[in-house]
Order: sequence, then C-alpha cells, then structure tokens
Amino acid sequence: MNRRKFLSWGTAGMVALCSGVVVSLGAVIRFLVPDVFYEPPQSFKIGNPADFPYGPPTFLADEKIYVFRERDKGFSVASAVCTHLGCTVKFFTSDNRFHCPCHGSVFNENGSVEHGPAPRALNWFEVTETRDGQLRVDKNKTVPPNYRLMV
Amino acid sequence: MNLIREIWQSIVRRDPLSTDKGKSELVFHNVWLHIHPAKVKKENMRFKHTFYLGFITFFLFLILVTTGIALMFYYRPYPPQSYQDMKDLQFVVFLGPFLRSMHRWAAHGMVICVFLHMCRVFYTGSYKKPRQFNWVVGIMLLLLTLGLSFTGYLLPWDQLAYWAITVGTNIGSYAPIVGGKLRELLLGGHTVGEAALIRFYVLHVAILPSLVILLTIVHFWRVRKDGGLSKPVWKLKPRAPEQLVTIGATPQVAPMQTIPASKDKTYGLMEVVTGKPNFEIITPEEEEDAVFSYPYAFFREAITLMVTVTSVMAISLFFHAPLEEMANPAKTPNPAKAPWYFLGLQELVSHSALLGGVVAPALMVIALLAIPYFDRNPSRRPSDRKWAIGLFTAFVVVNLVLIIIGTFFRGPGWAFVPPWVHVVAGPE
Ligand code: HEM
Ligand code: FES
Repeated sequence: MNRRKFLSWGTAGMVALCSGVVVSLGAVIRFLVPDVFYEPPQSFKIGNPADFPYGPPTFLADEKIYVFRERDKGFSVASAVCTHLGCTVKFFTSDNRFHCPCHGSVFNENGSVEHGPAPRALNWFEVTETRDGQLRVDKNKTVPPNYRLMV
Repeated sequence: MNLIREIWQSIVRRDPLSTDKGKSELVFHNVWLHIHPAKVKKENMRFKHTFYLGFITFFLFLILVTTGIALMFYYRPYPPQSYQDMKDLQFVVFLGPFLRSMHRWAAHGMVICVFLHMCRVFYTGSYKKPRQFNWVVGIMLLLLTLGLSFTGYLLPWDQLAYWAITVGTNIGSYAPIVGGKLRELLLGGHTVGEAALIRFYVLHVAILPSLVILLTIVHFWRVRKDGGLSKPVWKLKPRAPEQLVTIGATPQVAPMQTIPASKDKTYGLMEVVTGKPNFEIITPEEEEDAVFSYPYAFFREAITLMVTVTSVMAISLFFHAPLEEMANPAKTPNPAKAPWYFLGLQELVSHSALLGGVVAPALMVIALLAIPYFDRNPSRRPSDRKWAIGLFTAFVVVNLVLIIIGTFFRGPGWAFVPPWVHVVAGPE
C-alpha cells in the first residue's frame, strides 16, 4: 500500500466512522422523541349547555379551562394556563380578573394582560355544538376573545 | 495465627506503617488512596486555606448515593404510586423518614458546599495557571449538582414538585428556536406527567450521578496533576520589586544547588524526555516542609468525613423532609415556589422569562467558565486582584440578594411581602 492509497483509505475510514457516530447520536435523540403521547385528548366534550350557569365562569379542573356563559351572547372558553410559565390562573369575581399565583400576572376578563410578566393574552378555544347537543372544546383551535357560540 | 497474618499480608503487601517506606506504600499500593501523593505540603492542608469544602461536597455526594440507593428499594417512578411510596417512606418504612431526610438535607448541603467551594477557589486564585481547566471541570460539576437537585425535585410527586418542574421546564421553552422542542424532549410530552416522571427518574438515578462520578475522577486527578493543592495565599511571596541594573554588569546568578544522592532512597524513572513540565514545581525547601499523607492528610479527611456524616444524621433526626399534598395539575399553590437555590432565577423570571430565565443564566454560566481564561493577571495575591475580587463578590451578592428576595419577600401572587407581614388571604 502506497502513501496515497493509505491516506485516501484512511480519510474514507475516518469519514465513515464520524458519520456513523453522528447518525447514531441522531438516532438516540430521535429515540427519545415519543411518537405516541398518552395524554388527554385536545378536543373533548364538556357536557350540555344547560349544565353551565350564567354569571361567573365555570372552572373545569381536568381540562384547565374556564367556560363563560353570557345571556344573549353565548359560550366562550378561556384557557386557565398562564402564558408566562404555565401555572393555573384563578378567576376572581371580586375584580373580574384572572390572577396567576406564580409570578403575579393579572389578566382581564378578555384574557388580556393587565399586569405582570405574562407575554401574551390567555388563549381562547373554539367551542362548538355536537350533533347530540353537547358542547365540544378544541384546544388545537384558538379563537379571538370575542368568539361566541350561541345555542 | 500465621495463616491470618499471611492472608492479611497478601491483601496489604506493605511494610509496617512505622517506616517511611510503609507510609508511602500505603498510598501507592492502594487503588483508592493513590490519587493522593505520598507526601503533602503541610501548609496546604490548613483548614483556613480550603475549609475542606471540596471534601465536604464529595462526602455529601457519597451520602446521597448511599441513601439514594436505599430509597430506590421503595420508590416506583410512576404517578400516583410515587406519591404513595413517599407516604410509605414517611410513615411505614423502618428508618424511612430518616433516610429520606438525610437524602434531602445532604442534597441541600451539596448545593451550598459546591458553591462555597467555588468561592474558595476563586478567592484564593486557585483557578490560575496551571489549574484553568480544573475550574471548568468544577463548573460542570456545579451544573450537574443543580441538575441532580432539579430532577430529584419532581420525584416525590407532590404539589411542590409538580409546580416547581412545570415552571422550571417552561422557563427552558423560552430559549430561542430549540426551547419548545427541548422541553418536549425532557418531559416526553407537553405537560408534566407520567412520561416526564420516568425521564427525570432515569436522569436522577443513572445519567447525572454517572456523569458526576466521571467528572469527579477527572477533577481529583487534575488536582494531583496540577501539582497538588495550590499554595495558601499567605505563603505567596510578594512580587519582587523592580531592580535597577547597570547595563554591562555581569548578572548575579546563584550557583545550581546539588542535592547529594542518598543511599537509602531509590528512584525509578520510566523515561527521560525533554520539555518543561506543566505542573507547579516546588523548591527543595518546600519539599522539606512536606509530610507523609499517612497519617497527616488521611486523618484530616477522615475527620471531615465523620463530621459531615454526623451533621447530616443529626439534622435528619430533628428535621424531616417536607411532603406536601399530592400533585394536582388543576390547583397551583399560591405562591408557587421553586427550590430555594432556584428562587433567584424565579425572581428574575418574574420580571422577564426570556431575559431572566434564559439570557441571564446563560451569560452567568459563560462568564464563570471564562474566568480562568479571561483573568490574565498571573498573581494570586488578593492585594493584586482587587478588580477580580470585587466583580466576583458582586456576582455572589447579587445571587444571594435575589435568592433572599425570592425566599422571604415574595408572598401570594409573587407580590412583595416582607417576612414580618402576615398575609391572611389573597383577593377573592
Ligand atoms: C461535585 C462537585 C465538586 C467536588 C466533589 C469537588 C471536590 C474537590 C476537592 C476534594 C478538591 C481538593 C481541595 C479542596 O477540598 O478544596 C477540589 C479542588 C479544586 N476544585 Fe473542586 N469540587 C467540586 C466542584 C468544583 C467547582 C464548582 C469548582 C469551581 C468552579 C471547582 C474547582 C476546583 C479547583 C480549581 C480545585 C483546585 C484548588 C486548589 O488547588 O487549591 N470544583 N475539588
Ligand atoms: S406562570 Fe403565571 S405569572 Fe408566571
């Protein structure tokens, strides 16, 4: 084997080795990304319209949403997840505002930030009526805060 | 009797410890002890030079490994069983509360000691040439220590755990571009749930401790290869005043000192190569100052170990690690606080998640890593390094003040509440 041959085989070998390492690392990282999430569905039924009172919003703990029902206007659904770092906000009827316990963000009843470090308004989710007359919320679809569902 | 002696000698294979040869063989015939030199400089072992903080940190880590393995016998990384198991450890397992408390307090202690150890190394200028890289290894160990605390924090699956990790991982998602993906990778999902718990568990009991062990080995090896511990600052000679020289005069050179070969010393040389060594060289007078590691250094280390273990045990007898209600994703406790050493970070985050949670900590870590390469002042004497000491002290003070504000001055809704004011209820 001459010098030239040795160097080209050597280089090819090194390239093969390095790409092998890179590909394996990539595969390991890909392995860690789950393909199936055993998480609650993002779109779900929340019950009959009649279950929800007028006035202060109803908090659904498992879904982390607030369901508003206004006379003559209809239904709207706000996310209870603070846009700052994900704590669950609480609605206070005393001042009609959402307060976040973690870093003190305050959102008004339209979900806009009034105070604190939250960078964005609270999300509002699409709410529709299913064929059997129930309400369905889809967390994948955000809507403007003036969105209402009349039933 | 002879058989017992023979067995013993087959294990230890060294001369009696009353002889110098025995004392050195004790060190270099033993795989665990031979990370020490056979002889140490007496002055370097002084308490007021290192405060033994590196050793204390290491011993706390050993306590964490042993108590952690004990806890693993009862802990299942699966909600809600995890929380049940913590309750069991707290109430029905013999010695459960004690071991759990030891693990918890040793973890807090390790965070404190690793930080103080870093301060000691900084103030004594011990990161300077040739020890620059060991400082970098040290910073890695500091980050791993924080990572261990963070991952361990989720395992009890109580309210504190759930919300601290929810907030903590959301901070990460503010990192530009990769943030959201990184969080998903760490949690194995979109929220803190089953998948997150098992991932944190694997990191906490396997990956991070292995990395700490690996780097600790490098760290200790490096201390040794850099010429042992740095010289205490009070032993450093002031810089020689500049001398006036007459051009053309013959320079005065001290004659080379020759050390007579002694008949009762033997030397083994592996190889003779040219080039300068890159560790600190000691003078013959300093060599005279050295004492055998046995018993001088080992005795001190053993005392440090015993004091560390008994302190953690004593604290664990009287104070039990807390356990809150089971994690409840629907109800955020108010105020929701991270572990105390992350409260400085949480305080920053309460002002801006991107600047306070990503940019500021990233800059801090980079600055810490860069210190030995950035600080080009060769002198280790405090009087020569006023600027460096001032800046570092400012760094320490800012961190402490942020932690104190986050811990004692933040009430419900993260409102500023001095500790002497008692809040009865938030707005309702
Ligand atoms: C798991 C964490 C750590 C452990 C177990 C550890 C352990 C030790 C030990 C046992 C020593 C011997 C002297 C002493 O007790 O002070 C030492 C020295 C040293 N450590 Fe660490 N250390 C850790 C983290 C760090 C950190 C965070 C830094 C700094 C960023 C650091 C930088 C150094 C340096 C530069 C030395 C040499 C000091 C000298 O020669 O005076 N170490 N370490
Ligand atoms: S998570 Fe709501 S203010 Fe930080």
